Amino acid sequence: MKPSIYENSRDVFLDTVNAEDYIQLERVSIFYQSLRDSIEKPLKMVLLYGKPGTGKSMLLSKLHQNLSSSQKVCLYKTPILDESEFFKTLAQDLYAMTYDGELNFTQFVKVVEKRELVGATVPLILLDEAQLYSTPMMEKIRLLSDTRKVKFVIALHKTEKEDIIAKEHFQTRIWESIKLENASTSELKIYIQKKLMKANSIDTASMFTQKSIDLVHKLTDGNYRDVNKLVYTLFDIYVYYANNNPNKINTSEISTKFIEMAAIHTGLIDA
Amino acid sequence: MLNINDLELRHKKYKRKYYAPLFTMIVSTAIIAASITWFFVYNQKNTFIVENKIVKEPIVAQKIETEPVVEEKNESTLELATKEKLHVISENAVREETAEEKQEKLVLSPSLGFMSKLESKSQIYKEPAKELNSTPKPKETPEQKRAETVSPKIENKQIAPKKEEIEEITINTDKKSSINIARKDEIEDIAHVLKRFNVNHNPALSLFVAKKYYQLGDYEQAYNYALITNDINNNIEDSWLIFSKSLVKLNKKELALETLKKYISHSHSSQARQLLEEIQTGKFK
Repeated sequence: MKPSIYENSRDVFLDTVNAEDYIQLERVSIFYQSLRDSIEKPLKMVLLYGKPGTGKSMLLSKLHQNLSSSQKVCLYKTPILDESEFFKTLAQDLYAMTYDGELNFTQFVKVVEKRELVGATVPLILLDEAQLYSTPMMEKIRLLSDTRKVKFVIALHKTEKEDIIAKEHFQTRIWESIKLENASTSELKIYIQKKLMKANSIDTASMFTQKSIDLVHKLTDGNYRDVNKLVYTLFDIYVYYANNNPNKINTSEISTKFIEMAAIHTGLIDA
Repeated sequence: MLNINDLELRHKKYKRKYYAPLFTMIVSTAIIAASITWFFVYNQKNTFIVENKIVKEPIVAQKIETEPVVEEKNESTLELATKEKLHVISENAVREETAEEKQEKLVLSPSLGFMSKLESKSQIYKEPAKELNSTPKPKETPEQKRAETVSPKIENKQIAPKKEEIEEITINTDKKSSINIARKDEIEDIAHVLKRFNVNHNPALSLFVAKKYYQLGDYEQAYNYALITNDINNNIEDSWLIFSKSLVKLNKKELALETLKKYISHSHSSQARQLLEEIQTGKFK
Protein backbone atom coordinates (compact mmCIF):
# COMPACT_ATOMS: atom_id res chain seq x y z
CA MET A 1 0.00 0.00 0.00
CA LYS A 2 1.36 3.41 -0.94
CA PRO A 3 2.24 5.91 1.75
CA SER A 4 -0.13 8.40 0.18
CA ILE A 5 -3.11 6.19 1.04
CA TYR A 6 -2.19 6.41 4.70
CA GLU A 7 -1.61 10.13 4.38
CA ASN A 8 -5.11 10.63 2.95
CA SER A 9 -6.60 8.49 5.66
CA ARG A 10 -4.68 10.43 8.27
CA ASP A 11 -5.90 13.80 7.04
CA VAL A 12 -9.51 12.71 7.29
CA PHE A 13 -9.11 12.68 11.05
CA LEU A 14 -7.70 16.16 11.44
CA ASP A 15 -9.51 17.52 14.48
CA THR A 16 -11.37 20.39 12.86
CA VAL A 17 -15.01 21.36 13.17
CA ASN A 18 -16.29 21.44 9.64
CA ALA A 19 -19.87 20.82 8.72
CA GLU A 20 -18.67 19.12 5.58
CA ASP A 21 -17.07 16.42 7.72
CA TYR A 22 -20.31 15.75 9.54
CA ILE A 23 -20.93 11.99 9.72
CA GLN A 24 -24.50 10.90 9.69
CA LEU A 25 -24.88 8.51 12.59
CA GLU A 26 -28.23 7.31 13.79
CA ARG A 27 -27.98 8.79 17.22
CA VAL A 28 -26.41 12.01 16.03
CA SER A 29 -29.22 12.33 13.50
CA ILE A 30 -31.73 11.99 16.30
CA PHE A 31 -29.96 14.71 18.25
CA TYR A 32 -29.86 16.93 15.23
CA GLN A 33 -33.54 16.42 14.51
CA SER A 34 -34.52 17.16 18.09
CA LEU A 35 -32.42 20.32 17.90
CA ARG A 36 -34.23 21.37 14.75
CA ASP A 37 -37.55 20.67 16.42
CA SER A 38 -36.58 22.71 19.46
CA ILE A 39 -35.70 25.66 17.26
CA GLU A 40 -39.11 25.44 15.59
CA LYS A 41 -40.82 25.60 18.97
CA PRO A 42 -41.56 28.99 20.60
CA LEU A 43 -38.66 28.53 22.96
CA LYS A 44 -36.38 31.34 24.00
CA MET A 45 -33.30 29.25 24.55
CA VAL A 46 -32.01 25.75 23.77
CA LEU A 47 -29.24 24.18 25.76
CA LEU A 48 -26.93 21.72 24.08
CA TYR A 49 -24.58 20.06 26.52
CA GLY A 50 -22.27 17.12 26.92
CA LYS A 51 -18.68 16.18 27.58
CA PRO A 52 -15.95 17.70 25.43
CA GLY A 53 -15.62 15.86 22.16
CA THR A 54 -19.19 14.58 22.01
CA GLY A 55 -19.97 16.57 18.86
CA LYS A 56 -21.60 19.76 20.13
CA SER A 57 -19.54 22.05 17.93
CA MET A 58 -20.07 19.80 14.94
CA LEU A 59 -23.80 19.79 15.55
CA LEU A 60 -23.89 23.60 15.78
CA SER A 61 -21.85 23.85 12.60
CA LYS A 62 -24.19 21.48 10.82
CA LEU A 63 -27.20 23.42 12.09
CA HIS A 64 -25.67 26.70 11.00
CA GLN A 65 -24.92 25.32 7.58
CA ASN A 66 -28.40 23.94 7.10
CA LEU A 67 -30.34 26.91 8.46
CA SER A 68 -28.32 29.78 7.06
CA SER A 69 -30.05 29.52 3.71
CA SER A 70 -33.54 29.76 5.21
CA GLN A 71 -33.21 32.15 8.18
CA LYS A 72 -30.92 34.51 9.99
CA VAL A 73 -28.49 32.42 12.01
CA CYS A 74 -25.19 33.43 13.56
CA LEU A 75 -22.62 30.97 14.88
CA TYR A 76 -20.00 32.03 17.39
CA LYS A 77 -17.55 29.21 17.79
CA THR A 78 -15.43 31.08 20.30
CA PRO A 79 -16.92 33.26 23.01
CA ILE A 80 -16.68 37.05 22.77
CA LEU A 81 -15.87 37.82 26.32
CA ASP A 82 -15.91 41.60 26.14
CA GLU A 83 -19.48 42.74 26.67
CA SER A 84 -19.43 45.75 24.35
CA GLU A 85 -17.66 43.78 21.67
CA PHE A 86 -20.22 40.98 22.05
CA PHE A 87 -23.22 43.31 21.57
CA LYS A 88 -21.52 45.22 18.76
CA THR A 89 -20.83 41.91 16.96
CA LEU A 90 -24.46 40.85 17.41
CA ALA A 91 -25.69 44.23 16.10
CA GLN A 92 -23.45 43.91 13.10
CA ASP A 93 -24.39 40.29 12.32
CA LEU A 94 -28.11 40.55 13.03
CA TYR A 95 -28.91 44.05 11.87
CA ALA A 96 -25.82 45.14 9.93
CA MET A 97 -25.35 48.03 12.35
CA THR A 98 -21.84 49.22 13.12
CA TYR A 99 -20.86 51.08 16.23
CA ASP A 100 -17.59 52.89 16.60
CA GLY A 101 -17.91 53.57 20.27
CA GLU A 102 -19.13 51.46 23.19
CA LEU A 103 -22.38 49.51 22.99
CA ASN A 104 -23.70 48.43 26.33
CA PHE A 105 -26.47 45.98 27.12
CA THR A 106 -29.18 48.65 27.63
CA GLN A 107 -28.42 50.26 24.31
CA PHE A 108 -28.44 46.94 22.52
CA VAL A 109 -31.74 45.85 24.09
CA LYS A 110 -33.31 49.07 22.82
CA VAL A 111 -32.00 48.29 19.35
CA VAL A 112 -33.36 44.77 19.47
CA GLU A 113 -36.79 45.82 20.74
CA LYS A 114 -37.13 48.45 17.98
CA ARG A 115 -36.45 45.86 15.29
CA GLU A 116 -39.36 44.18 13.67
CA LEU A 117 -39.06 40.51 12.85
CA VAL A 118 -38.60 39.62 9.24
CA GLY A 119 -41.40 37.19 8.56
CA ALA A 120 -42.21 34.90 11.45
CA THR A 121 -38.69 33.62 11.99
CA VAL A 122 -36.68 34.76 14.94
CA PRO A 123 -32.97 35.29 14.33
CA LEU A 124 -30.95 32.43 15.79
CA ILE A 125 -27.68 32.90 17.64
CA LEU A 126 -25.52 29.81 18.20
CA LEU A 127 -23.06 30.19 21.04
CA ASP A 128 -20.40 27.49 21.33
CA GLU A 129 -18.25 27.07 24.43
CA ALA A 130 -20.80 29.07 26.40
CA GLN A 131 -19.32 27.91 29.67
CA LEU A 132 -16.65 30.56 29.14
CA TYR A 133 -19.16 33.39 29.44
CA SER A 134 -19.39 35.06 32.82
CA THR A 135 -22.47 34.76 34.94
CA PRO A 136 -23.58 38.42 34.44
CA MET A 137 -23.09 37.97 30.73
CA MET A 138 -25.24 34.85 30.77
CA GLU A 139 -27.90 36.79 32.64
CA LYS A 140 -27.88 39.46 29.95
CA ILE A 141 -28.17 36.80 27.26
CA ARG A 142 -31.21 35.46 29.10
CA LEU A 143 -32.77 38.93 29.22
CA LEU A 144 -32.15 39.33 25.52
CA SER A 145 -33.97 36.11 24.82
CA ASP A 146 -36.90 37.42 26.86
CA THR A 147 -37.51 40.03 24.19
CA ARG A 148 -38.41 37.09 21.89
CA LYS A 149 -36.74 39.02 19.12
CA VAL A 150 -33.73 36.73 19.18
CA LYS A 151 -33.29 33.04 20.03
CA PHE A 152 -30.18 31.42 21.48
CA VAL A 153 -28.77 27.92 21.15
CA ILE A 154 -26.12 27.55 23.78
CA ALA A 155 -23.59 24.72 23.71
CA LEU A 156 -21.57 24.08 26.83
CA HIS A 157 -19.62 21.37 28.55
CA LYS A 158 -21.51 19.33 31.06
CA THR A 159 -19.72 19.96 34.28
CA GLU A 160 -20.82 20.81 37.77
CA LYS A 161 -20.23 24.48 37.05
CA GLU A 162 -22.30 24.35 33.89
CA ASP A 163 -25.08 22.69 35.83
CA ILE A 164 -25.19 25.70 38.13
CA ILE A 165 -25.27 28.05 35.14
CA ALA A 166 -28.08 26.06 33.64
CA LYS A 167 -30.03 26.20 36.87
CA GLU A 168 -29.50 29.90 37.47
CA HIS A 169 -30.11 31.19 33.99
CA PHE A 170 -32.40 28.73 32.34
CA GLN A 171 -34.43 27.08 35.03
CA THR A 172 -37.21 29.67 35.02
CA ARG A 173 -37.06 30.18 31.26
CA ILE A 174 -38.78 28.29 28.57
CA TRP A 175 -35.92 26.22 27.30
CA GLU A 176 -35.01 22.81 26.14
CA SER A 177 -31.87 20.85 26.73
CA ILE A 178 -30.26 18.17 24.60
CA LYS A 179 -27.51 16.04 26.01
CA LEU A 180 -24.87 14.62 23.69
CA GLU A 181 -22.95 11.47 24.55
CA ASN A 182 -19.93 9.50 23.37
CA ALA A 183 -20.20 6.95 20.60
CA SER A 184 -20.87 3.31 21.23
CA THR A 185 -18.62 0.66 19.67
CA SER A 186 -20.92 0.11 16.73
CA GLU A 187 -21.31 3.87 16.23
CA LEU A 188 -17.57 4.26 16.39
CA LYS A 189 -17.06 1.64 13.70
CA ILE A 190 -19.55 3.40 11.44
CA TYR A 191 -18.00 6.76 12.26
CA ILE A 192 -14.43 5.68 11.35
CA GLN A 193 -15.38 3.69 8.28
CA LYS A 194 -17.76 6.35 6.96
CA LYS A 195 -15.15 9.02 7.44
CA LEU A 196 -12.55 7.00 5.54
CA MET A 197 -14.91 5.99 2.77
CA LYS A 198 -15.98 9.58 2.37
CA ALA A 199 -12.34 10.27 1.51
CA ASN A 200 -12.24 7.21 -0.78
CA SER A 201 -9.89 5.40 1.60
CA ILE A 202 -11.71 2.11 1.23
CA ASP A 203 -8.59 -0.02 1.74
CA THR A 204 -7.77 1.51 5.09
CA ALA A 205 -11.46 1.46 6.09
CA SER A 206 -11.51 -2.30 5.57
CA MET A 207 -8.46 -2.68 7.80
CA PHE A 208 -10.54 -1.74 10.85
CA THR A 209 -11.68 -5.04 12.26
CA GLN A 210 -13.98 -5.34 15.25
CA LYS A 211 -10.93 -6.08 17.38
CA SER A 212 -9.23 -2.83 16.44
CA ILE A 213 -12.48 -0.89 16.83
CA ASP A 214 -12.93 -2.36 20.29
CA LEU A 215 -9.43 -1.33 21.22
CA VAL A 216 -9.94 2.20 19.89
CA HIS A 217 -13.21 2.44 21.80
CA LYS A 218 -11.56 1.14 24.94
CA LEU A 219 -8.84 3.75 24.67
CA THR A 220 -11.06 6.69 23.73
CA ASP A 221 -14.32 5.74 25.44
CA GLY A 222 -16.02 6.67 22.16
CA ASN A 223 -15.12 10.33 22.45
CA TYR A 224 -15.09 11.71 18.92
CA ARG A 225 -12.31 14.17 19.59
CA ASP A 226 -10.06 11.49 21.10
CA VAL A 227 -10.92 9.11 18.28
CA ASN A 228 -9.92 11.70 15.73
CA LYS A 229 -6.65 12.37 17.50
CA LEU A 230 -5.87 8.68 17.93
CA VAL A 231 -6.69 7.58 14.40
CA TYR A 232 -4.85 10.58 12.98
CA THR A 233 -1.70 9.56 14.89
CA LEU A 234 -2.28 5.93 13.95
CA PHE A 235 -2.16 6.72 10.27
CA ASP A 236 0.77 9.00 10.87
CA ILE A 237 2.63 5.96 12.23
CA TYR A 238 1.52 3.98 9.19
CA VAL A 239 2.91 6.71 6.97
CA TYR A 240 6.25 6.44 8.76
CA TYR A 241 6.45 2.67 8.41
CA ALA A 242 5.23 2.78 4.81
CA ASN A 243 8.13 5.07 4.04
CA ASN A 244 10.80 3.45 6.19
CA ASN A 245 9.93 -0.13 6.95
CA PRO A 246 6.98 -1.36 4.87
CA ASN A 247 7.57 -4.99 5.92
CA LYS A 248 6.23 -4.18 9.35
CA ILE A 249 2.83 -3.26 7.95
CA ASN A 250 0.07 -5.83 7.83
CA THR A 251 -2.35 -4.52 5.23
CA SER A 252 -5.13 -6.91 6.19
CA GLU A 253 -5.87 -5.31 9.55
CA ILE A 254 -4.87 -2.44 11.76
CA SER A 255 -1.94 -3.33 14.00
CA THR A 256 -2.75 -3.41 17.69
CA LYS A 257 0.79 -2.34 18.37
CA PHE A 258 0.39 0.75 16.20
CA ILE A 259 -2.90 1.63 17.91
CA GLU A 260 -1.17 1.37 21.27
CA MET A 261 1.76 3.43 20.03
CA ALA A 262 -0.67 6.09 18.80
CA ALA A 263 -2.41 6.01 22.17
CA ILE A 264 0.93 6.46 23.93
CA HIS A 265 1.74 9.38 21.70
CA THR A 266 -1.62 11.08 22.24
CA GLY A 267 -1.51 10.50 25.97
CA LEU A 268 -4.41 8.05 26.07
CA ILE A 269 -1.98 5.44 27.43
CA ASP A 270 0.35 6.45 30.19
CA ALA A 271 3.61 4.68 29.38
CA MET B 1 6.67 14.72 13.64
CA LEU B 2 6.62 11.37 15.29
CA ASN B 3 9.69 9.95 16.98
CA ILE B 4 8.97 6.33 16.13
CA ASN B 5 12.05 4.91 17.86
CA ASP B 6 11.13 6.59 21.11
CA LEU B 7 7.53 5.53 20.63
CA GLU B 8 8.56 1.90 20.13
CA LEU B 9 10.65 1.99 23.27
CA ARG B 10 7.78 3.48 25.21
CA HIS B 11 5.51 0.83 23.74
CA LYS B 12 7.84 -1.96 24.91
CA LYS B 13 7.93 -0.39 28.32
CA TYR B 14 4.15 -0.17 28.31
CA LYS B 15 3.78 -3.83 27.34
CA ARG B 16 6.10 -4.89 30.11
CA LYS B 17 4.13 -2.73 32.53
CA TYR B 18 0.88 -4.13 31.12
CA TYR B 19 1.86 -7.77 31.37
CA ALA B 20 3.69 -7.54 34.71
CA PRO B 21 0.52 -7.71 36.86
CA LEU B 22 -0.88 -10.41 34.59
CA PHE B 23 2.33 -12.41 34.88
CA THR B 24 2.39 -11.87 38.63
CA MET B 25 -1.23 -12.95 38.86
CA ILE B 26 -0.60 -16.10 36.82
CA VAL B 27 2.47 -16.98 38.89
CA SER B 28 0.59 -16.27 42.13
CA THR B 29 -2.36 -18.35 40.95
CA ALA B 30 -0.01 -21.16 39.99
CA ILE B 31 1.69 -21.01 43.37
CA ILE B 32 -1.64 -20.92 45.18
CA ALA B 33 -2.96 -23.78 43.04
CA ALA B 34 0.20 -25.78 43.69
CA SER B 35 -0.06 -25.05 47.41
CA ILE B 36 -3.70 -26.10 47.51
CA THR B 37 -2.93 -29.23 45.51
CA TRP B 38 -0.03 -30.06 47.81
CA PHE B 39 -2.22 -29.40 50.83
CA PHE B 40 -4.91 -31.75 49.59
CA VAL B 41 -2.43 -34.40 48.55
CA TYR B 42 -0.75 -34.13 51.93
CA ASN B 43 -4.09 -34.36 53.68
CA GLN B 44 -5.03 -37.32 51.55
CA LYS B 45 -1.81 -39.06 52.54
CA ASN B 46 -2.56 -38.34 56.17
CA THR B 47 -6.05 -39.67 55.65
CA PHE B 48 -4.59 -42.84 54.16
CA ILE B 49 -2.28 -43.19 57.12
CA VAL B 50 -5.18 -42.63 59.50
CA GLU B 51 -7.31 -45.04 57.50
CA ASN B 52 -4.57 -47.61 57.61
CA LYS B 53 -4.36 -47.11 61.32
CA ILE B 54 -8.11 -47.43 61.53
CA VAL B 55 -7.96 -50.59 59.48
CA LYS B 56 -5.36 -51.93 61.84
CA GLU B 57 -7.20 -50.64 64.87
CA PRO B 58 -9.94 -53.27 64.89
CA ILE B 59 -7.30 -55.97 65.08
CA VAL B 60 -5.72 -54.26 68.01
CA ALA B 61 -9.10 -53.40 69.39
CA GLN B 62 -10.13 -56.97 69.09
CA LYS B 63 -7.18 -57.90 71.18
CA ILE B 64 -7.89 -55.17 73.61
CA GLU B 65 -11.53 -56.08 73.70
CA THR B 66 -10.88 -59.65 74.40
CA GLU B 67 -8.05 -59.20 76.82
CA PRO B 68 -10.07 -57.35 79.41
CA VAL B 69 -12.61 -60.12 79.16
CA VAL B 70 -9.90 -62.49 80.17
CA GLU B 71 -8.58 -60.14 82.80
CA GLU B 72 -11.97 -59.47 84.31
CA LYS B 73 -13.29 -62.92 84.26
CA ASN B 74 -14.59 -62.71 87.78
CA GLU B 75 -16.09 -59.28 87.31
CA SER B 76 -18.07 -59.62 84.14
CA THR B 77 -19.37 -62.20 81.76
CA LEU B 78 -19.50 -62.14 78.00
CA GLU B 79 -22.13 -64.04 76.19
CA LEU B 80 -21.00 -65.59 73.00
CA ALA B 81 -23.67 -67.00 70.77
CA THR B 82 -21.50 -68.68 68.18
CA LYS B 83 -18.56 -70.96 68.04
CA GLU B 84 -16.56 -68.30 66.24
CA LYS B 85 -16.70 -66.12 69.28
CA LEU B 86 -15.65 -68.98 71.38
CA HIS B 87 -12.76 -69.48 69.03
CA VAL B 88 -11.65 -65.87 69.42
CA ILE B 89 -11.79 -66.11 73.17
CA SER B 90 -9.77 -69.24 73.10
CA GLU B 91 -7.13 -67.54 70.99
CA ASN B 92 -6.96 -64.70 73.46
CA ALA B 93 -6.56 -67.15 76.21
CA VAL B 94 -3.71 -68.69 74.24
CA ARG B 95 -1.97 -65.33 74.07
CA GLU B 96 -2.44 -64.80 77.74
CA GLU B 97 -1.09 -68.17 78.54
CA THR B 98 1.88 -67.63 76.31
CA ALA B 99 2.64 -64.57 78.39
CA GLU B 100 2.15 -66.49 81.54
CA GLU B 101 4.53 -69.19 80.46
CA LYS B 102 7.27 -66.66 80.50
CA GLN B 103 6.73 -66.17 84.19
CA GLU B 104 8.43 -68.23 86.76
CA LYS B 105 6.84 -71.64 87.04
CA LEU B 106 5.79 -73.11 90.32
CA VAL B 107 7.44 -76.33 91.25
CA LEU B 108 4.30 -77.34 93.07
CA SER B 109 2.43 -80.35 91.89
CA PRO B 110 -0.66 -81.89 93.36
CA SER B 111 -0.29 -84.89 95.48
CA LEU B 112 -1.56 -87.62 93.29
CA GLY B 113 -1.39 -90.43 95.71
CA PHE B 114 -5.14 -90.71 95.69
CA MET B 115 -4.91 -91.64 92.05
CA SER B 116 -4.01 -95.12 93.06
CA LYS B 117 -7.36 -95.29 94.80
CA LEU B 118 -9.27 -94.21 91.80
CA GLU B 119 -10.89 -96.92 89.91
CA SER B 120 -10.50 -97.51 86.21
CA LYS B 121 -14.18 -96.73 85.79
CA SER B 122 -13.35 -93.08 85.62
CA GLN B 123 -12.74 -91.60 82.19
CA ILE B 124 -9.12 -90.89 81.60
CA TYR B 125 -7.49 -88.47 79.21
CA LYS B 126 -5.46 -90.32 76.62
CA GLU B 127 -3.57 -89.78 73.42
CA PRO B 128 -5.80 -90.47 70.42
CA ALA B 129 -3.33 -92.98 68.97
CA LYS B 130 -3.09 -94.85 72.23
CA GLU B 131 -6.82 -94.74 72.73
CA LEU B 132 -7.35 -96.98 69.73
CA ASN B 133 -5.06 -99.72 70.97
CA SER B 134 -5.34 -99.63 74.68
CA THR B 135 -8.01 -99.50 77.35
CA PRO B 136 -8.06 -96.89 80.08
CA LYS B 137 -5.74 -97.68 82.94
CA PRO B 138 -7.25 -97.24 86.38
CA LYS B 139 -4.19 -96.03 88.20
CA GLU B 140 -2.32 -93.68 86.02
CA THR B 141 0.15 -91.15 87.19
CA PRO B 142 -0.22 -87.49 86.19
CA GLU B 143 2.73 -87.97 83.82
CA GLN B 144 0.93 -90.72 82.05
CA LYS B 145 -2.26 -88.73 81.90
CA ARG B 146 -0.42 -85.85 80.38
CA ALA B 147 0.33 -87.93 77.33
CA GLU B 148 -3.28 -88.83 76.85
CA THR B 149 -5.59 -87.10 74.50
CA VAL B 150 -9.18 -86.13 74.96
CA SER B 151 -10.61 -87.76 71.88
CA PRO B 152 -12.09 -90.77 73.59
CA LYS B 153 -13.82 -88.57 76.06
CA ILE B 154 -15.39 -86.58 73.31
CA GLU B 155 -16.87 -89.72 71.86
CA ASN B 156 -18.14 -90.75 75.26
CA LYS B 157 -19.62 -87.38 75.89
CA GLN B 158 -21.31 -87.34 72.54
CA ILE B 159 -23.23 -90.39 73.67
CA ALA B 160 -24.17 -88.66 76.90
CA PRO B 161 -27.39 -86.61 76.97
CA LYS B 162 -26.86 -83.14 75.60
CA LYS B 163 -27.87 -79.93 77.26
CA GLU B 164 -29.45 -77.64 74.73
CA GLU B 165 -30.12 -74.74 77.03
CA ILE B 166 -27.93 -71.65 77.16
CA GLU B 167 -25.46 -71.72 79.92
CA GLU B 168 -22.68 -69.58 81.23
CA ILE B 169 -19.12 -70.65 80.69
CA THR B 170 -16.57 -68.92 82.81
CA ILE B 171 -12.91 -69.07 81.94
CA ASN B 172 -10.95 -68.17 85.02
CA THR B 173 -7.32 -67.34 85.02
CA ASP B 174 -5.04 -65.88 87.66
CA LYS B 175 -6.26 -62.46 86.43
CA LYS B 176 -9.75 -63.30 87.63
CA SER B 177 -11.78 -62.77 84.56
CA SER B 178 -14.86 -64.57 83.37
CA ILE B 179 -16.52 -65.14 80.09
CA ASN B 180 -20.10 -66.11 79.54
CA ILE B 181 -20.62 -68.11 76.46
CA ALA B 182 -24.10 -68.63 75.21
CA ARG B 183 -24.48 -71.69 73.10
CA LYS B 184 -26.83 -74.41 72.17
CA ASP B 185 -24.72 -77.47 72.10
CA GLU B 186 -22.15 -77.62 74.84
CA ILE B 187 -20.80 -80.98 73.87
CA GLU B 188 -20.07 -79.74 70.38
CA ASP B 189 -18.36 -76.75 71.90
CA ILE B 190 -16.21 -78.99 74.05
CA ALA B 191 -15.36 -81.10 71.04
CA HIS B 192 -14.45 -78.00 69.11
CA VAL B 193 -12.21 -76.74 71.90
CA LEU B 194 -10.60 -80.14 72.29
CA LYS B 195 -9.77 -80.22 68.59
CA ARG B 196 -8.00 -76.96 69.02
CA PHE B 197 -6.31 -78.17 72.17
CA ASN B 198 -4.97 -81.21 70.35
CA VAL B 199 -3.34 -78.91 67.88
CA ASN B 200 -1.77 -76.33 70.18
CA HIS B 201 -1.95 -77.85 73.69
CA ASN B 202 -3.03 -74.53 75.07
CA PRO B 203 -3.70 -74.82 78.83
CA ALA B 204 -6.48 -72.26 78.56
CA LEU B 205 -8.38 -74.63 76.33
CA SER B 206 -7.91 -77.60 78.62
CA LEU B 207 -8.95 -75.42 81.55
CA PHE B 208 -12.04 -74.42 79.66
CA VAL B 209 -12.87 -78.09 79.07
CA ALA B 210 -12.23 -78.84 82.74
CA LYS B 211 -14.60 -76.13 83.82
CA LYS B 212 -17.18 -77.23 81.30
CA TYR B 213 -17.07 -80.80 82.51
CA TYR B 214 -17.31 -79.57 86.07
CA GLN B 215 -20.40 -77.58 85.20
CA LEU B 216 -21.85 -80.60 83.47
CA GLY B 217 -21.21 -82.64 86.60
CA ASP B 218 -18.58 -84.87 85.04
CA TYR B 219 -16.11 -84.39 87.85
CA GLU B 220 -13.77 -87.11 86.75
CA GLN B 221 -13.26 -85.41 83.40
CA ALA B 222 -13.04 -82.06 85.17
CA TYR B 223 -10.35 -83.56 87.40
CA ASN B 224 -8.55 -84.97 84.36
CA TYR B 225 -8.46 -81.73 82.38
CA ALA B 226 -7.60 -79.64 85.46
CA LEU B 227 -4.67 -81.95 85.94
CA ILE B 228 -3.65 -81.67 82.30
CA THR B 229 -3.89 -77.89 82.53
CA ASN B 230 -1.82 -77.88 85.69
CA ASP B 231 0.73 -80.08 84.08
CA ILE B 232 1.15 -77.69 81.16
CA ASN B 233 1.10 -74.59 83.35
CA ASN B 234 0.91 -74.98 87.11
CA ASN B 235 0.48 -71.27 87.74
CA ILE B 236 -3.13 -71.19 86.66
CA GLU B 237 -5.12 -70.80 89.83
CA ASP B 238 -8.38 -71.98 88.33
CA SER B 239 -6.84 -75.31 87.43
CA TRP B 240 -6.03 -75.80 91.13
CA LEU B 241 -9.48 -74.74 92.20
CA ILE B 242 -11.27 -76.96 89.69
CA PHE B 243 -8.92 -79.78 90.59
CA SER B 244 -9.70 -79.38 94.27
CA LYS B 245 -13.43 -78.96 93.74
CA SER B 246 -13.49 -82.05 91.54
CA LEU B 247 -11.70 -84.00 94.27
CA VAL B 248 -14.32 -82.92 96.79
CA LYS B 249 -17.07 -83.95 94.40
CA LEU B 250 -15.29 -87.30 93.96
CA ASN B 251 -15.35 -87.67 97.78
CA LYS B 252 -11.61 -87.02 98.05
CA LYS B 253 -12.03 -84.14 100.49
CA GLU B 254 -8.81 -84.74 102.39
CA LEU B 255 -6.80 -84.85 99.25
CA ALA B 256 -8.48 -81.67 98.04
CA LEU B 257 -7.63 -79.93 101.32
CA GLU B 258 -4.05 -81.12 101.16
CA THR B 259 -3.71 -79.91 97.58
CA LEU B 260 -5.24 -76.54 98.39
CA LYS B 261 -3.00 -76.04 101.42
CA LYS B 262 0.08 -76.72 99.33
CA TYR B 263 -1.09 -74.29 96.73
CA ILE B 264 -1.98 -71.61 99.31
CA SER B 265 1.40 -71.94 100.98
CA HIS B 266 3.00 -71.13 97.68
CA SER B 267 0.63 -68.65 96.11
CA HIS B 268 -1.22 -67.16 99.09
CA SER B 269 -4.30 -67.13 96.94
CA SER B 270 -7.32 -65.70 98.67
CA GLN B 271 -9.65 -67.63 96.42
CA ALA B 272 -7.92 -70.85 97.27
CA ARG B 273 -8.07 -69.91 100.95
CA GLN B 274 -11.75 -69.18 100.70
CA LEU B 275 -12.38 -72.49 98.97
CA LEU B 276 -10.35 -74.22 101.64
CA GLU B 277 -12.50 -72.67 104.34
CA GLU B 278 -15.67 -73.56 102.53
CA ILE B 279 -14.55 -77.17 102.19
CA GLN B 280 -13.46 -77.31 105.80
CA THR B 281 -16.69 -75.77 107.09
CA GLY B 282 -18.73 -77.94 104.83
CA LYS B 283 -20.19 -75.11 102.85
CA PHE B 284 -18.76 -76.67 99.76
CA LYS B 285 -19.70 -80.22 99.33
